[in-house]
Amino acid sequence: MSHSRIRRSVPALAAACFLGGLVVGCGGGENDSPDDALRVALLTSGPVSDAGWYAGAYEGLLLIEESLGAQVSHQQTRSPAEFDEAFFSYGSSGYDLVFAHGFEYQDAALRAGEEFPELTIVVSSGGRISDNVRSLIFRLEEGSYLAGMMAGGLTRSRVVGMVGGVAIPPAQGTFRAFEAGARSIDPDIEVLEAFIGSWDDVAAAREAATAQLNRGADVLVHNTDAASFGVFQAVREANGDENPVWAIGMNRDQNDVAPEVIAGSAAIDIPRAFLDVASRFTAGTLPPGALDLSLGEGVVDFIVNPEALGRIPADLLARIDEARVAIREGMLEVPRIEFLEEEPGGP
Amino acid sequence: MIRQLLRPRLRSRRIGPLAAGVVALLAATLLAAAGLALAGYDPAAAGRALVSGAFGSWERFASITLVRATPLILTGLAVALAFRAGVWNIGAEGQLYAGAVAAVWVGLTFPGAPAWLLLPGAMAAAAVAGGLWTLVPVGLKLRAGVGEVITTILMNFVAIHTVAWLVHGPLQEARGVFPQTDPVALAARLPRLGSGRLHAGFPVAVVLAGALWWLLRHSAWGFRVRAVGASIRAAAVSGRIHTGRVVLGAFLLSGMLAGLAGGVEVAGVTFALYENLSPGYGYTAIAVALLAGLNPLAVLLAAGFFGVLQAGAAAMQRDVGVPAVWVSAIEALVILAVVAADRFLRRGMAGKGGG
Repeated sequence: MSHSRIRRSVPALAAACFLGGLVVGCGGGENDSPDDALRVALLTSGPVSDAGWYAGAYEGLLLIEESLGAQVSHQQTRSPAEFDEAFFSYGSSGYDLVFAHGFEYQDAALRAGEEFPELTIVVSSGGRISDNVRSLIFRLEEGSYLAGMMAGGLTRSRVVGMVGGVAIPPAQGTFRAFEAGARSIDPDIEVLEAFIGSWDDVAAAREAATAQLNRGADVLVHNTDAASFGVFQAVREANGDENPVWAIGMNRDQNDVAPEVIAGSAAIDIPRAFLDVASRFTAGTLPPGALDLSLGEGVVDFIVNPEALGRIPADLLARIDEARVAIREGMLEVPRIEFLEEEPGGP
Repeated sequence: MIRQLLRPRLRSRRIGPLAAGVVALLAATLLAAAGLALAGYDPAAAGRALVSGAFGSWERFASITLVRATPLILTGLAVALAFRAGVWNIGAEGQLYAGAVAAVWVGLTFPGAPAWLLLPGAMAAAAVAGGLWTLVPVGLKLRAGVGEVITTILMNFVAIHTVAWLVHGPLQEARGVFPQTDPVALAARLPRLGSGRLHAGFPVAVVLAGALWWLLRHSAWGFRVRAVGASIRAAAVSGRIHTGRVVLGAFLLSGMLAGLAGGVEVAGVTFALYENLSPGYGYTAIAVALLAGLNPLAVLLAAGFFGVLQAGAAAMQRDVGVPAVWVSAIEALVILAVVAADRFLRRGMAGKGGG
């Protein structure tokens, strides 16, 4: 390639575009609306088309718009460099409440909280808190324990598998609980575990799931986002009339994603949790620090796939129902991994 | 600066490039608008969001657009320099990560050091690490004649996976919970300029662009780089240029600039090391450098253009609800339109014997 050729005209081109934009742009004013409607924003670091963790959050945002008449906005951030920028954008244009849907936002949220004292930030699964930065912790372990019971009751090979995204405490906690649930049915069950290092990598999830199926697992649970499609696909391909193979959904009711192989989903009712937070926020009753939402509040549960009901033993369903009541009444302690910092952290 | 850039063209009474810029902008706008309309979004509202997101106020322009442009300027300079020397360094991404690791390591290891020592130390470490990251490709190129396109790309993967291992292992935050490092000491962070998020990395990048322009244009070393880039064989035959040394120097300096980009990003924006720290700055840098015609001063404008696009794209998501995938597609359309307009223009000029 001849460099002198490339060098000719393009700089001026770039100049034209850049300066053109500058001139046009500086004429335009801010489009901030002056009215005092509640303004709520959502940040996700993955696509809201994942039929899971992010999709639930987006539904929650729309529910807030519908129920509270709030003005809502969503941004998908692609890298940590965009975290601070997104908070800055919302903070400087008068938003009241930002849901930052994932632990990864916690440090940027603390910095933004200091910079924009008027802004309230709720970090899902956040480990750090301050005056206006809250953590929303879903006790998904409780639903995952029941899912583990389902897996323990369904497996014929006595091997079950777990495919996770990134090995972080909220994800690991659900797996510890799943393991405990499965072993409450059969103490000798073998439990396989793999973290693929990504929440969205469908191919990697499928590979990990296939590896576990090849090692004899016949019930697989996941804790990923869009990567869950890879797990479901692997299970669907391995499923046969002679040797049924099951999958279990996580984070959101995913029963309709692959109804022929999903036994049920350990689900968070994220929309309900978000609406709850936003309502408490407008009423001024949002508690400081962390807000724990669990099976007791009806935010977390294990939802059996109605289409699979006929193939699940009735006594297994009964045992799961019993355990659900026991957890709700505090009679049954589900394993969990604590990750909230005791002291409010600095920036 | 801009006058410098435009003067030769004004002198030869060629208004072609500016006209092409306008045409490209129009074409890109039309393409983007059509795409948005097809997807069921209001193109006018999206356009307003783009413009106000990138330029809406001085604070927003400085805090978002210029902050976004900063790593693109530095990596763009890195790529431009390498390409001028005929070195196809596709590894700015990996060199950026190497620099980020070094800056974070310094910022975490010497928290008690004074800012006047710690910050320059961290930046120097970032540049050195970026330079070191090119050693394998440089060595393979000069010793064994292995093409640097492949080796630099491979080194990107090595860097990205090393960072993943570091934030899950040795450099993980003290509590050992989340895959990230602790934030670096306050003394290792770049000072803010004004009330917004704009940090001192931006003026540094601008100064470096000027310095690199001067070096390439007016120094003996710059002449050698350009000679080697134009034709390495001719440069070797001339007998006056030690081509291996020139390639080594340009490659190392290119890596150092990219490494500095990583250091600046950590010290000015994220303050900690994360797995997916860079949204592909090192790759966008190639587009930046080519759009700038490998001219360091024009890299400022090209990086600014990409900064505008990215800042505006984020605003399109926030204000109009255009999904991220559409935003990426529109970004790509705009780049294509600009590059295509440039091509056609050049062909037209060549036909008229201009040059």
